[in-house]
Amino acid sequence: MIILDNISKSFNATHAVKNISLTVSTGEIFGIVGPNGAGKTTTIRMMTGLLTPDKGKIIIGKYDIVNESIKAKSILGYVPDKAFLYEKLTAREFLIFISSIYRIPKSEALSRTDEMLELFGIKDIEDELIESFSQGMRQRLLFASALIHKPEVLLIDEPFMGLDPFGVRMLKGVIKDLSSKGVTIFLATHSLHIAEELCHRVGFINKGSIISIKTKEEIKGMEGGLEGLFLKMGSE
Amino acid sequence: MKMGQEDKAFFLLIRPKLLSLKNSIGTKVVLRRLPFIAIGVGFWFLFYIGTYKVLSYVRGIEFFGEILSRKLFSMTFFSLLGFLIISSIITSISSFYLSKDIPLLLSKPVEIRDILRLKTFEAFMNSSWMVLSFMPPVFIAYGISYGAPAGYYFLILGCFLLFSLITAGIGITIAHILTRLFPAKRTRNVLFGIGVFLFLSLYFLIKGLIPQDMSTPEGFISSIMSFKTESPMLPSYWITEAVFPILKKSGFSIFYPIILLSNALFFLLLSEIAGLRFYRVNMERVQPSGERIKRWILGGYYPEINTAMFYKDIKTFFRDTGQWSQVFIIGALIMIYVYNFKSIPINALSGFPFIKEIMVLVNLVLSGLVLSAVSARFIYASVSLEGQAFWIIRTSPVGMNRFIRSKFFYGFIPVTLLMLVLVFLTNLAMNAGGILMYLSLGTVLILCISVSGLGTGFGAIYPKFKYENIASVSMSLGGMAFMLIAFSVVIATLSLEAWIFYVYSLEDAMDLSAKIQIALGVIMIILINAIAFYLPMRIGKKKLQEQTGII
Repeated sequence: MIILDNISKSFNATHAVKNISLTVSTGEIFGIVGPNGAGKTTTIRMMTGLLTPDKGKIIIGKYDIVNESIKAKSILGYVPDKAFLYEKLTAREFLIFISSIYRIPKSEALSRTDEMLELFGIKDIEDELIESFSQGMRQRLLFASALIHKPEVLLIDEPFMGLDPFGVRMLKGVIKDLSSKGVTIFLATHSLHIAEELCHRVGFINKGSIISIKTKEEIKGMEGGLEGLFLKMGSE
Repeated sequence: MKMGQEDKAFFLLIRPKLLSLKNSIGTKVVLRRLPFIAIGVGFWFLFYIGTYKVLSYVRGIEFFGEILSRKLFSMTFFSLLGFLIISSIITSISSFYLSKDIPLLLSKPVEIRDILRLKTFEAFMNSSWMVLSFMPPVFIAYGISYGAPAGYYFLILGCFLLFSLITAGIGITIAHILTRLFPAKRTRNVLFGIGVFLFLSLYFLIKGLIPQDMSTPEGFISSIMSFKTESPMLPSYWITEAVFPILKKSGFSIFYPIILLSNALFFLLLSEIAGLRFYRVNMERVQPSGERIKRWILGGYYPEINTAMFYKDIKTFFRDTGQWSQVFIIGALIMIYVYNFKSIPINALSGFPFIKEIMVLVNLVLSGLVLSAVSARFIYASVSLEGQAFWIIRTSPVGMNRFIRSKFFYGFIPVTLLMLVLVFLTNLAMNAGGILMYLSLGTVLILCISVSGLGTGFGAIYPKFKYENIASVSMSLGGMAFMLIAFSVVIATLSLEAWIFYVYSLEDAMDLSAKIQIALGVIMIILINAIAFYLPMRIGKKKLQEQTGII
């Protein structure tokens, strides 16, 4: 479960996020869409603990991300929008490193590493340095690293960046599967059709505030679907 | 492209660098960095005083004073020649082949010649700016000591610039050729080759240049005099010949400045020809190519959380050419350092009181300088090494305490081992055993702890997660400030130790005042080193908690 309780964040007197309150239930996939610079990434960064809210509270699972950050982070998986990784490690070494800092016991870490490498289709390049990976391969590795410790909450910023159609299909399956197993997923995206297809609810953010939240069913019943709604909201 | 257009293209390419520099220097930034600038100026002043004193002493030596002074001048440039060439080779490889802006530049409609010129400028600045900024106190000390006219200062600055351009031209040419010659699928092979080549050259050069008999005062002076830096084929000889006549007010000849100028142009042109010939092919060879890494002997090792970051950093170090290639520069300097101590004629100087103690102290001061420089390169830069992947640490359940601790040990262990071996060997070379050996090793251990803490802390306070190459991190203003503060800690500690030793050896029977002075000295040493170790790491930890990393 994720709870955002009246959170705000400013940078040099500019409001990036204003008084957002939101609850995402266990197993729910919540999507957030909005124009560039609307506050999506800032919201996610606050949820990961990278930024501290000026005001309000963020609860991940049952932990406050500011006051109980280590506990909150150990049940959190995060996939950022840009895939900066340790370029001089191999994919396998990177996953082992992530397992270590999440305190996964050795035998489990090794089997999870193999499992993730297989699942995301990077087993055959597991011993290559990350610096030689394409954008799509990096994105797959990011997902593998975000899931290796079996997080209860998954935060994703632009999930399908650089992925080929096979990758997109595979990843959609993974996200749905995680949700069915009770993982709470919060994703920010510009791909409206994917948000429409995957998310149980979609929030529209503009100028730092969530201006509307619609359920899958509500979106389906609307003329022009999510795209029509987005264009209408974005121009307001 | 016509000449005018070429010049325009160069300035166009360099514009983003200059604009970035301009945008990063705001009033706020300058004010924040003011204390560091003040430290730099203070250090400059101390360096000037030190050089002036040494020069006055040398010039006062009967018969040989003036010749020795000139010899010291040419020896300084002779050492700089080697250092700058090595530094230029290493930075050229980073600037020409490993910089992050290369793919962008190569994809644009820009002539290779213009990219080469841009990178030549970058390599020149990166390899020589530190030396260029530290040499003026030496030039001024010589000028004041000889009462030189104003023209001397202009001449030496101009000649030194040309001297540095010659070394840059040579370094860049060698870098292009070596990258072409070695199987460059792994860039580290290239640098390994350069390293072996340089070590062997330096070893035989020094071995051949210094005569072995230095056991008597006469032998010592004649050895210094016959140190063969005076070959008319060397730029260090040209700069000495260009500057010394005006320094001694005995006239001015344009001959040697012209030689310097023509050689600077020649070597820059040579580097451009080498670049035009090899750069394209070399670039294709150094691209990451899906190279498979063999699993280590320790492949089955699974680190727990406390050692995971350390293990990751060690692996990354040996795979990152930008990092470990710097070991060569330091290795070469240390080799020269140890060799110099081996050559000191302790027996010939045995008539002076406390000569062994003084030499051990001088050794510790110089080791402190090496410690500060090595720490700037490796410890200060260790936090920034996380680069743009720092978000991984910030979003994982790793506390900043644990992170900083890991970075501390990553730097502390190798640097301490290096320094202990260095001081042990140099003391052995001077036959300084017993209590002097124990005291020096103990002092070095304390200094390694405090300077490593200081470096880790400073690196965390001023992290630079977005860098072109890792060498630029230690050469930033924060890196320089760290180096100066680290060296100040070394000097303060050693001064207090010297004071304790002085009080101890003066008093036949220790009275209360002497005991109090010694106790105060010890407390001060502990306090200074404890603060240097603890405070920056504490502030650094807080600063890192506010950092998002660049994502």
